Amino acid sequence: MMDFGFKLSKSATLDLDRADTGRYERLCALEPDARICMNCGSCSATCTAAPFSGMSLRKVILGLQRGQDVRPMLQGCMLCGKCSMVCPRGINTRHLILTLCRIYD
Amino acid sequence: MIERFSSGFHPFVLPFLAGMVFVLGYCVYGIVRILFQLTGEDRRRFFLSLITPRTALKNIRDIFCDCLLHVKLWKRNRMLGFMHSSIAFGWFMLIVLGHVEVMLFLPERIRLFYYPIFFNFFVAETDSTIQGSLLFFLMDFFLLVVLVGIALAMVKRVRSRLFGLRRTPRPSLLNRVGLYALWAIFPLRLLAESFTAHISGGSFLTIPANWVFRQFLGNDLNMLPTWWAYSIALGVFMFVLPFTRYMHIPAEMMLIPMRNAGLKIRGARKGFARVQVYSCPNCGVCIDACPMSADKANLKDCTVYLTRQMRRGNERRIAEISDKCLLCGKCEAVCQVGVEGPKLRLMNRAERNYAVKADYSGVPVTALSEAARGGKVLYYSGCMSQLVPSIGRSMESVFRKAGVDYFWMDREGGVCCGRPMMTAGRLEEAAGIVRKNTEVILGSGADTMVVSCPICYKMFTEEYSLPGVRVVHYVNHMEELLQEGRLVPTRSDLCYVYHDPCELGRGCGIYEEPRRLLGRLAGIAEAEKNRSESVCCGGSLGSLTLTFAKREKITKASLENLYASNADAIATACPLCTATFARYADRPVRDLAEIVDRQTEGKLKPAEI
Amino acid sequence: MKENVVVIGGGVAGMEAARQLLLLGYNPILVEQQDHLGGHVAQWNRLFPDMAPAGDLVRRLWDGITDANIFLETRVTSVNRLKDDYLVMLSNGVSISCRAILIASGFKLFDAARKEEYGYGVYDHVVTNADLESWFNGNESDRIPSAPRSVGFVHCVGSRDLKAGNSQCSKVCCITAVKQAIEMKERFPEARVYCFYMDLRLFGKKYEDFYIRAQQEFGIQFIRGRVSEVGETLDGRLQVKAEDTLSGKPLKVQLDLLVLMAGMSCNPDVAELARMARLDIDSDGFLRSLDNTAGIDVSNRPGIFYAGACTGAKTVPETLGEARSAALDIHRYLQGR
Repeated sequence: MMDFGFKLSKSATLDLDRADTGRYERLCALEPDARICMNCGSCSATCTAAPFSGMSLRKVILGLQRGQDVRPMLQGCMLCGKCSMVCPRGINTRHLILTLCRIYD
Repeated sequence: MIERFSSGFHPFVLPFLAGMVFVLGYCVYGIVRILFQLTGEDRRRFFLSLITPRTALKNIRDIFCDCLLHVKLWKRNRMLGFMHSSIAFGWFMLIVLGHVEVMLFLPERIRLFYYPIFFNFFVAETDSTIQGSLLFFLMDFFLLVVLVGIALAMVKRVRSRLFGLRRTPRPSLLNRVGLYALWAIFPLRLLAESFTAHISGGSFLTIPANWVFRQFLGNDLNMLPTWWAYSIALGVFMFVLPFTRYMHIPAEMMLIPMRNAGLKIRGARKGFARVQVYSCPNCGVCIDACPMSADKANLKDCTVYLTRQMRRGNERRIAEISDKCLLCGKCEAVCQVGVEGPKLRLMNRAERNYAVKADYSGVPVTALSEAARGGKVLYYSGCMSQLVPSIGRSMESVFRKAGVDYFWMDREGGVCCGRPMMTAGRLEEAAGIVRKNTEVILGSGADTMVVSCPICYKMFTEEYSLPGVRVVHYVNHMEELLQEGRLVPTRSDLCYVYHDPCELGRGCGIYEEPRRLLGRLAGIAEAEKNRSESVCCGGSLGSLTLTFAKREKITKASLENLYASNADAIATACPLCTATFARYADRPVRDLAEIVDRQTEGKLKPAEI
Repeated sequence: MKENVVVIGGGVAGMEAARQLLLLGYNPILVEQQDHLGGHVAQWNRLFPDMAPAGDLVRRLWDGITDANIFLETRVTSVNRLKDDYLVMLSNGVSISCRAILIASGFKLFDAARKEEYGYGVYDHVVTNADLESWFNGNESDRIPSAPRSVGFVHCVGSRDLKAGNSQCSKVCCITAVKQAIEMKERFPEARVYCFYMDLRLFGKKYEDFYIRAQQEFGIQFIRGRVSEVGETLDGRLQVKAEDTLSGKPLKVQLDLLVLMAGMSCNPDVAELARMARLDIDSDGFLRSLDNTAGIDVSNRPGIFYAGACTGAKTVPETLGEARSAALDIHRYLQGR
């Protein structure tokens, strides 16, 4: 590849070809329901921890799909279970979060 | 009475002797190990309780009532109670009377501990004394009692429904061996004592049997094989005992003093937890009681299977059973022994490591408590109530009508109470949440906190230390307002069936207050199973792995239990129960707050509010 | 003597099918539970995308079936197969022998109170799309504020929602929300109007134009995020929480009126009918078509056909088209071709 002496800023572009989605695949192997999220945002809207920590389960799942580090968001979760009550797809969100907290190493 | 053998010994006692030595050795080793697993403080507390007269007396009474007479089981199921107490108490009396016989007739042999068991083999009757005949009668009587119990046990094995048990656990191979050995012991004893009755003497059971046997088996040599068989049956039973459910017999005698000493389960696999696991008699009462049993897929996930898998060390199944449970506490409520199934599961959950640790430093404690400053009464609705807006709205209306100076601290969301985190087994994280909330509440300067969610209420009363703040359940608070005349009730024609939420009823022991409150406002009916036997709605946060779809059958079964009352509507006192029921219910589901709001008026005129 | 065809359900599907069957020379017998024909459409004010009055359509269909037998406030009590015929018994005592039955039993509007978190029945100013149409039709309601500063529409209430028991899309709510948002903006030009959607599914002819008009002419704000809960502020206004998923932030907004776009769920009465006539029910509770491509109006039983929303959510033009094709299929069936 020719070097033009400049490149797009790394953080500004999601390069799906290079994104590390290994963790997302590992999550899906344990929690197949992670795949059926339709990004409606109900979980994030209702989230008890969101106002204090920026927690958004929707963004966590999306971030994993894009190969991003989602730990800072996960740390705020209080596991109150509201997200599992409102998810229209019936995803067991609490267990998904617990699994994710365990496999993050 | 004279001895037939000057040595006081015969080789047939060896199987029994070996079994006895083995089982005693095993139990002593087990007790020592468990005592070492206790924390120093727990150990001190345990020993202290053994020498404290009050607890020592209670221990004896409890062991007598629970282990021998099975009083609790009698109260629950008469057939099962009779069966168990006839075997346990009958056997106990046979042992005691055997010792009495030895002490009375051959006191020098009391040191041989097989002697009282095989007394009739070793002695010959000389002259029938009045003492002897009474003892012989009692021996035969209690043998008959045990035999009746064994016969019932056999019937139960084939037709458990006759005993009111719909489902019983499938026994493993060793359990079967133990079971058949136990069944064999007493008929063989009858046979053996009958064969020797013309020598050793007997009573109404053994003498006629002896007469019958001697009609066609005149040879005394026949007696020896039956005594061997009796001893072997005892030996086999004792050898397999540590590996079968019969381990509950010695374990329960350990469990009772430990419980009376006030010990708590501190780890999933050690100390008191281990005693509880071994104390499970595998009766299977928890299978029918478990709300998850509404779905056949969950039949093997109740406490009886948890204890079984914990004994086997099957980690995969232990995790599966521990995580699926709703933690409704019903198995514990019906358990005759007092195995704390939910607590065992919780501790198993707590053993896990999570790579991502919680961080609640972002909670703006000062801002939250500043905002809550001013009101005398804080109202904490809890996270779930925000999804059932009728609760908070009704509470506000009730407060306003009664003229309560309140502040709804989590109107726009607050910090979770921490109970859901705790039920997931993340105790440190839960403690972190508790600290944040404590700071907010204490910083607000309020002296009363009204809580409408039973999940939060249990957490606030058990895990929080809030000096100067009275935590009140909203049912009590509303009842107080009615009593003080600040709310004026009007009766509704509707008849409600009250559903006891798990966390409020079994969790906090609040059964009567909601009924009293509801009874003042409307008609009240009882569900088929109520109070401590109430059936979980299926929405519980206690379960980690049950998905939404898998909870449907549980909820519908719980609703059927409520429909049995033929009430017009369902009343409950938990946002999670309300939301869960409302999905499938064929009649209105209302929280008590909503009913109180509908059925009361303030003393003040609307204009003054 | 003209051959009988029983048409179960007097909504627009049943009416249009009956009209076509009359034209084809049959004797349609229209059975309707309620005291009027036209079903849900008769309750509506104006229809997208042309804003045509719903009443006009119902009247036009009425005019076409004046010669048909119509039984109002009547239910089917039994359906029995006798050799090649069906014997249909009605609650008014009439029994009809026929070779063909058309089921046009429609849908049931989702009961918005079952989505407890939206507070329908708890908050005065939370209404449904049907409530709003009724108000458009001139029925007074104190639940619609006289001068709202802001109005919100929640899409997918009881649609695409496993927890509400409806996993399917109701198809019409997106465009209905756009229509009603425009109508509200026409009445209250000062009000801010928000639509909370998960996906905008504006698939039909002219729908996209409608959407563009809503943005361009009416300034309606579309927020991609499902509303999760509705609260009340101290001064009694509604406070809606959603996530603005496009900016990735939790969002709250105060409203004076919230309209819930209740979706289409299966008609619960159809289960009984299906049992009597031994018809297959699909996993979503709607009647199962023979196939979902070329046989949507064909049932698993000979001589029984479907039209309209009894097999799933449909728009009005789709329903009318299906009614016509069902009439033709019945005709061919009765002609033995």
